[in-house]
Amino acid sequence: MFLLPKGSPLFENLAVAKLKLPDILSKLSNGSFTGYANFVFQVDTAILVFESGKLLSVLFEDKNGMRESGFQALSALAELMVGTGSGALNVYKLSKDLTMCIHALMEGETLCKAQDLKLIDINALLKKIKDDRMNGCLRIYTDEHSAMIFYKDGAPLGFFHDGANDIETSPVESQKIAGLPGAKIDLFSTQSSDELMGANLLEFTNIQKIWDSCVALHKAIIDKSNTERVERDRKILAQQLAELEEIVKSIVIEYVGSVGRGIVDKEISNNGGNTCLGDADRTKKFMAGVERAAKLLVSGTNNKVMMEKLSSALTVSATGF
Amino acid sequence: MKFLEMVAQLNTFDLIQIISWGLAGAISFYFSIGNARVWTSISIGFFLIFVSQAYGINPWSHYHKLTAFHYIVGTMAIMTITHGFLEYYVFCRTFEISGNKLIVYLITIGFLAASAVFLLINPTPSPNTIRNIKMVENAIWVFLSIINIELIRKIYSSIRDSDISKGFIAFGIVFICIFVWRGTDLYLQVFQWDQDWQDIIALMTEENSDLEDYKGRVQFSREVVRYAGVVSGLSVGGVFTYLYTLLK
Repeated sequence: MFLLPKGSPLFENLAVAKLKLPDILSKLSNGSFTGYANFVFQVDTAILVFESGKLLSVLFEDKNGMRESGFQALSALAELMVGTGSGALNVYKLSKDLTMCIHALMEGETLCKAQDLKLIDINALLKKIKDDRMNGCLRIYTDEHSAMIFYKDGAPLGFFHDGANDIETSPVESQKIAGLPGAKIDLFSTQSSDELMGANLLEFTNIQKIWDSCVALHKAIIDKSNTERVERDRKILAQQLAELEEIVKSIVIEYVGSVGRGIVDKEISNNGGNTCLGDADRTKKFMAGVERAAKLLVSGTNNKVMMEKLSSALTVSATGF
Repeated sequence: MKFLEMVAQLNTFDLIQIISWGLAGAISFYFSIGNARVWTSISIGFFLIFVSQAYGINPWSHYHKLTAFHYIVGTMAIMTITHGFLEYYVFCRTFEISGNKLIVYLITIGFLAASAVFLLINPTPSPNTIRNIKMVENAIWVFLSIINIELIRKIYSSIRDSDISKGFIAFGIVFICIFVWRGTDLYLQVFQWDQDWQDIIALMTEENSDLEDYKGRVQFSREVVRYAGVVSGLSVGGVFTYLYTLLK
């Protein structure tokens, strides 16, 4: 996303995770805010331009450089705000005229796009801007550098370039970039600020509904993810318990004989399934049951050794649950 | 004094038999105290065999009711043993262990008391009635010995690879001995060649016995009864000692 002049900062680096989009928009709208709000996420960016509390334009750019505007941009921003735990909000107050130029830059009519400066008559273009009393923005850029000249009624409002925080009155930096090899220009025009007053995205967008649906969608995703995680954990636990059950059976069979499998099955069933092997109290009951049954089949010495082995196997496995 | 006189009157074989059952009874009772609940019925049953066999040295055995009681105890002995093996078999199939030792002891004492009351409230049994009771006892022993051999076979096949499985083979041998002992005795009774019947007809009836016609087989059967009785008693004592070592 291109850099914009900062004007007067109202808020900087507010944690987006704690904010709700409808509340922010409502606050800026009710406060007759003029300027722009810049949402900066890890790789995505959104800019909302306000004029006297009216939301003139919204631009959302994702990590691939894909841009969306209007309703789609608001939806994308809401989704990102709900779905991500990071991100910062910066709000900068600008003059009406500069706000109009920012709007032009974002959503204005593109009169000229990626034109090589060498191939166009720049003087003629500047004369046309002046003669047509154009409102808008002329962007001059190379791969490394960028500068913008904002116009109102054909007269330059100011100059802005990479590395600067605010509008400058000197055209030096813009002229330097224009002189670089491979320099290109974009020209965007828009209506006057007075004419723009009629448009307000907030009037025909139910931002609360967008937000609520994003929250609901996010909750559904989280719920689904939780359900999947619980199911996955349950399957892993079931597999671990099944493996432990087989270990227990093999120990009991080793000492008691093949009838040991039945004894283990019976005790597991008596103690509510093989989950008892992962529960300290029920494991105790299970062990007591196995020992009682084994007493009828094996010598006291063998029974003692078997119980020690079982206890050891269950203790080692219990640490994994 | 009377006890010593009775002992003196016993022949060596009967004395050995009583002593062997006494040893078996003591070992089995001791075994029942230190082992799992399922063994209690089996151990008590074998102990009761000694009680039933001890009539030979009982100084009051001339009281017919007491003699009858000995035979009833003998019947209860095999029923208790069978109940024990049945429980063990159920355990092998379902791995279910229920009840407690005290209840087994109390129920056994309860049955003995009920048998005593039954004898007390009825007329004094005649020698013929006592012989009938003895014959019923032998019949039950023979029948339940066969049942026990089958139960032991099934138990063994279920636990053949456990420490104790060989102990059940030994029990099988015990019941074969008991079957021969009791079966031969029953055989003599059924054909009225037993000593009790001879005593009865000598004193109370005009009936003649055909014993003289089958003297050989009668003599042989009586020897079998004597030897099988002693071997049974010794084998029971041996089995419990063997089990004790297996389960130690």
